[in-house]
Amino acid sequence: MSEATFQVPVGPQHPALKEAPENFMFSIDGETVVDVKARIGYNHRGIEKAAESRSYIQNIYLVERVCGICSIAHVATYTPAVEEALNLEIPPRAKYIRTIIYELNRIASHYLWLGLAGHEIGFDTLFMYLWRDREIALNILEQITGNRVTYAAFTIGGVRRDISSEMAEKAKNGLSILEERMKYYKKLCLNEPTVLKRAVGVGILKPQDAITLCAVGPLLRASGVKSDVRADDPYLVYDEVPFYVVTYGGCDVASRVLVRCDETLVSIGIIKHALDRLPESPIRVKAPRIVPPAEVVSRTEAPRGELIYYLRSNGTDKPDRLKIRTPTLANIPSVCKSLIGGYLADIPIVLAAADPCFTCTDRMAFVNVSNGKRWVWTREQLRRYSMKWHQQN
Amino acid sequence: MAMQRELLRNLRKKPITLRYPFERVAPPEGLRGKHSWNMEKCIGCGICVSVCPSFAIEMIGKGLTAEFKVYLDRCLFCAQCQESCPKEVIKLTTEYELAAYNRDQLILEWKRPTKSESTT
Amino acid sequence: MAPTELIITLLQVLIFPGIIFLLGLAFVYEWVDRKFYARLQNRYGPLHTGPSGFLQPFADFVKLLAKEDITPQAADKPLFAATPILLLAIPIAALFCIPMTGLTALVSFEGDLIYIIFLSTLISMVTFLAAWSSTNPFSIIGGLRAAFQMLGYEVPMAIVMVCPAIAAGTLNISGIVAKQGTSGLWFILSQPLGFIILLICLLAEIKRVPFDIPEAETEIVAGWLTEFSGRKLALLRLSIDMELVFAAALTTALYLGGPAGLAPIPAIIYFLVKTTIIVLIMSNLRALFARFRIDQMVHGSWKFLTPLAILQVILVELAVG
Repeated sequence: MSEATFQVPVGPQHPALKEAPENFMFSIDGETVVDVKARIGYNHRGIEKAAESRSYIQNIYLVERVCGICSIAHVATYTPAVEEALNLEIPPRAKYIRTIIYELNRIASHYLWLGLAGHEIGFDTLFMYLWRDREIALNILEQITGNRVTYAAFTIGGVRRDISSEMAEKAKNGLSILEERMKYYKKLCLNEPTVLKRAVGVGILKPQDAITLCAVGPLLRASGVKSDVRADDPYLVYDEVPFYVVTYGGCDVASRVLVRCDETLVSIGIIKHALDRLPESPIRVKAPRIVPPAEVVSRTEAPRGELIYYLRSNGTDKPDRLKIRTPTLANIPSVCKSLIGGYLADIPIVLAAADPCFTCTDRMAFVNVSNGKRWVWTREQLRRYSMKWHQQN
Repeated sequence: MAMQRELLRNLRKKPITLRYPFERVAPPEGLRGKHSWNMEKCIGCGICVSVCPSFAIEMIGKGLTAEFKVYLDRCLFCAQCQESCPKEVIKLTTEYELAAYNRDQLILEWKRPTKSESTT
Repeated sequence: MAPTELIITLLQVLIFPGIIFLLGLAFVYEWVDRKFYARLQNRYGPLHTGPSGFLQPFADFVKLLAKEDITPQAADKPLFAATPILLLAIPIAALFCIPMTGLTALVSFEGDLIYIIFLSTLISMVTFLAAWSSTNPFSIIGGLRAAFQMLGYEVPMAIVMVCPAIAAGTLNISGIVAKQGTSGLWFILSQPLGFIILLICLLAEIKRVPFDIPEAETEIVAGWLTEFSGRKLALLRLSIDMELVFAAALTTALYLGGPAGLAPIPAIIYFLVKTTIIVLIMSNLRALFARFRIDQMVHGSWKFLTPLAILQVILVELAVG
């Protein structure tokens, strides 16, 4: 290369990556980003392997801790997979309660995200206000489920706790406050000139690129593509509540902000509607411990995008294989594409606009540094290697 | 400039920070905190041991004389043991202030209640 | 000079209104800034060290003095060690020219306004040198941005600082303050546009939000400050506070009449009240805006600030006749 470019590493420790260590190596020319290479894998925890040695009930709590912010999305994708393998139908009240908790988690996640986005552009006041208001959502969740994050609310066959009518009243009051605040923040973001200057026209991702690079979630919907698992493949009660897919055509960071603001308002509407119409039925059914052999693919719309679970059971009480495809993993190529051509100063906000949750993302691959060859192992190769290692040590 | 009125309004309000530990909020009823076991009802079936996701319960002995150790530093406070126990021995209270200086202080031991010296 | 005069001058330079007083003022204004910023955000700010957290900036300073002072191997050692001291000394030297206790300052000569403009340019240059001598990618980007930013605010600031001088007929800051004191008309009333532009340019010079681009925490770790630690970081943080005092004192002297005020209350009280008001305005601006990008800042300054500054100087010329 004839032009000398300056290499700036963002990560693994960097204030722009509030959440997890990942490495993005940027090639900068002046202040413009010329190229970016992403390296993930700093935070690999071996959850898929750990899931193979625990029973299905224990796995609920393991899977909840894949991600702290969207924890309920993982549980809400895992439990239907197991219930499908068991051919179990959960009662309607359980479906409504699951939807309510899922949407409350989405509200908390989007509030957190908006605060972080404010912090990344230097607008700390927005960050403080949003996280103060997020406490209302977390308090409602604490009332209903017993914990502010990692709720342990679902079980195979239904939910563990019921929502009483006082809880529903308190929740509705809290939700009204949250709705009014979110409308104020949306108006603020559209009217504050410094925010608009940092967000409009920044991090452009064209719709064709978004579809080719398999973007998911609000990143995709902010490029005008109408794709949401809750509408394409309805699960729980999304076909019975007032729900519509939010898209904006701006393809930039401002559109991603607006998509998430509107999604929060939609979620608040869904929860209020569901709280008024909770059907009378038991909240769980008894589930057998042993799951017959089956292969299930289950997907839901996590706050960050489409989350896919693949479960293979083999007739024992422990799963044979659990594979998790998190939305952030799918979004990384799109994020890299939208960073190129922008400014160095835009890196944090564009990275943050994809709402990265790197804890859920990690994968391992083999790379031969001398000749640049990459490959992955199949499961049989991994098993043989681990048996050989155990014999030698 | 759009936020100026909100900023000035916040000057007049009391700060929302809780000055913990001088000011505390009462935890809600369903909070899953420290374990409290009623050993008189326990039959030593061992279901709690097998169902705990983080292997935090240890059973010493078997049956009606079994004693238990709960490792709170491994516990997830998921209350699966409370749910699975057939005799409703385990209850998670709302005590959440469990920090300790030493890991040994986080091991709860549940022994059988000693009967009074009766020789009947 | 007679020995007693010499001793009095020495005491004035060292203690009041000299170095010790200015250092104390730097800590006080940092506390005012942090407390006000926190209250705007509905939280407490510093709380436990001293009454209502008053001693917190001093406690931070003492803590940093005790930390390990690491110099990177590739850094330019003499420059790396000298720049924190220089950055602390320059605002203090500039503050000697600003009247605080009366209508004349400790150091007062015809043309000391130009001297102050020179010192503020020197601050940006030394910032760039501090960043360059750190030889760290983040520091270099921060230093480059500081130099870029200087290209943006330097011209409007110099123009707008000269407007009160034209109106007062003298380039001596003490003379400007005296003119405002005798005529009773503070220049903020006759040149409000100049006041606003000076405030914006001073915010850019002392690198505060919305112009804290060289130090942008989320983008380039700590920007030009990244490699400094221990005693050097303590001196740098103190110099940042001192620059805040300098900016507030300069605005007060040029536009708000300095320590001029009605008789029975001592002049220093007027000076302190006015500078505190400026510090509160700057804290409010810190809470109100997001951070600009460097190209937006330089574009905006050449598209808006410079023409408005030129307009202000034309208006002043027409008024003076």
